[in-house]
Amino acid sequence: MALVSGPGRGGMSDMPVEMRLFVDKHVRYIQSLDTRKDELEYWLTEHLRLNGLYWGLTALHLLGHPDALPRDEVLEFVLSCLHDNGGFGAAPGHDAHMLYTVSGVQILATLDAFDELDRRVPGGRQKIGQFIAGLQDPETGTFAGDEWGERDTRFLYGALNALSLMKLLHLVNVDKAVEHIQSCANFDGGYGTSPGAESHSGQIFTCVSALTIAGRLDLVDHDKLGAWLSERQLKNGGLNGRPEKKEDVCYSWWVMSSLANLKRLHWIDGRKLTEFILQCQDPELGGLADRPGDMVDVFHTVFGIAGLSLLKYPGLAEVDPTYCMPREVTRRCLGK
Amino acid sequence: MASHGVSRAAATTVRSEEARQKELQQIDTYKDLVNQVNAKIVERQYTIEVLSLITKLLNENPEYYTIWNHRRRVLITLLALDPVDRGDRASPEELIENDLQLTFSLLRKFPKCYWIWNHRDWILQKGESTLEADTTRRLWSGELQLVNKMLHADSRNFHAWSYRRFVVAQLDRIQSGSIADAEAPKSMIELEFEYTTKMIKINLSNFSAWHNRSRLIPRLLDERKADHNARRQLFDNELELICTAINTDPFDQSIWYYHQYLMSTLAPDCPEQSKIVPNLTTEDRTKYYAHEMEYIQEILEDEADCKWIYESLLHVAQCFLVIDAGTDLFTTSDMRNWLENLQRLDPLRKGRWEEVGASLGK
Repeated sequence: MALVSGPGRGGMSDMPVEMRLFVDKHVRYIQSLDTRKDELEYWLTEHLRLNGLYWGLTALHLLGHPDALPRDEVLEFVLSCLHDNGGFGAAPGHDAHMLYTVSGVQILATLDAFDELDRRVPGGRQKIGQFIAGLQDPETGTFAGDEWGERDTRFLYGALNALSLMKLLHLVNVDKAVEHIQSCANFDGGYGTSPGAESHSGQIFTCVSALTIAGRLDLVDHDKLGAWLSERQLKNGGLNGRPEKKEDVCYSWWVMSSLANLKRLHWIDGRKLTEFILQCQDPELGGLADRPGDMVDVFHTVFGIAGLSLLKYPGLAEVDPTYCMPREVTRRCLGK
Repeated sequence: MASHGVSRAAATTVRSEEARQKELQQIDTYKDLVNQVNAKIVERQYTIEVLSLITKLLNENPEYYTIWNHRRRVLITLLALDPVDRGDRASPEELIENDLQLTFSLLRKFPKCYWIWNHRDWILQKGESTLEADTTRRLWSGELQLVNKMLHADSRNFHAWSYRRFVVAQLDRIQSGSIADAEAPKSMIELEFEYTTKMIKINLSNFSAWHNRSRLIPRLLDERKADHNARRQLFDNELELICTAINTDPFDQSIWYYHQYLMSTLAPDCPEQSKIVPNLTTEDRTKYYAHEMEYIQEILEDEADCKWIYESLLHVAQCFLVIDAGTDLFTTSDMRNWLENLQRLDPLRKGRWEEVGASLGK
């Protein structure tokens, strides 16, 4: 489904304006994110800092600028979020939680820094693995986010994601986790946040990805779920998350990654979706928004760019649909 | 950091120096409050005064999950105080009511914030282990009012729907735990089923309500101890309801998904616990499929450009072929015709239709 073929491929300057990705602007936008300390929003979003760093770093890798953030500073910051119990908080002083632990591990993987972790924090990888494993509910197989007990398929996926990157999947009961995912399945082939909950593309991403990591995609009705996912595309090319909802760039990722894992990416119109994602760019200051004309943020920036990578937009690095990380990185960590 | 629906034009106007100074001041005040709270927690000052500071901070930033954890640390201490040590300070009931109010007012402003929903769940569970059974029951019943309000504001909020199912499960649990009562109130499942009917009547397009209905039906039938005929009656009623809905707006996806759900329960390979009418014969199934195809084709006469009709015809036809490959109700050429219409009306999913075409063979 390459958008441009033949001679001139990769030369984005010959692309028609509506098909242009403003790579340099996006790189500068991401670099600028940590310089906005004179904005209240910067402080109000501290609880997302480590996620934000993962989003930004991943986007930069996909854009072909892996060194645009200083590696030492990134590593230093990630380690400053690590607690003694092996969990990561969103920023120094924030409590440990699965959501940030996964981002922490993903960043370390992307920086190829697991060995450095173990050097600086003896037994670091093992500690992180234990923290995650301790959050599995032995009865149902699902995972809590932290000691306070909120449960959700997001945390289950996060656990399998991080553990597999560290080669520590054996610390948890994967079969039991798979059983739990099965209990969240609906008649339409999709999955919700917990048993009984409505199918939702975000949750489908977590469940299909978790099943991919567990090697149990055979449990998914590929045609039925593929059909449901393909119906997320709206006339304007964008994708929504559930029936009769509005389009949003982040669903480019949640929906497409699942379609990619199910080998059904060609069931939607890639060209129209590409155009939609590109319309969500801020052509002056960089970054992508949920919809054209809206305010950008790093969350929509990475999921928009990762979506474009799945669509084989020229010049972008390949993304792994299961992990939302550069394929090169997951190949190194997983050995496959 | 993840903003939805905020216009860029409104957000990128250049700040005046005055506005910048004002924002810097706001930052100082905010950081001051954060530092104060964190310092007191490090010192383990789990007092009512610190709880008020935490309230103030959460009102400014309900996404700050660590502060919710701090709140719980303080509450655990305060709830466990011996009445003698407590003196005239807040009682457990007041503390719990207070947090229910706080989370309610925050949810009205931030209906999709996971942490607020999560705290509300925690405080109620805490209440259950601290308060009298009657008070607990009153609190849980009050939760349905809250969910009603939340779903009135946004009838698709999946947090609210999940919370609704959770509250119903708690009420059910409390109910079954209490001594059997001759005048037991109407069962929760019946009431919930009625609620989905009400929500669907307000807006046919509310798939969240249709979904919940699909999850309630098997439980409703079990609870009613419905026999074969009663089950069939319910299935027929549902079909009639959805067929009227299809006739009202055949362009709405939600409705077709519910129709697809009903059809899926007819399939021989449908899991036993999801079947509405077990023990259907092939003849029963044939009748249902034939009736549906006939009805949908009637709608086609007025809506030849509605892709959902063709999609549904193809789907029902495929179900039909599973039970009767030799049916003469439709031919492969009918199926090809429906598919061609899909290709004409729905070019976005061209790749999918090509594969469906290949599966129909030559």
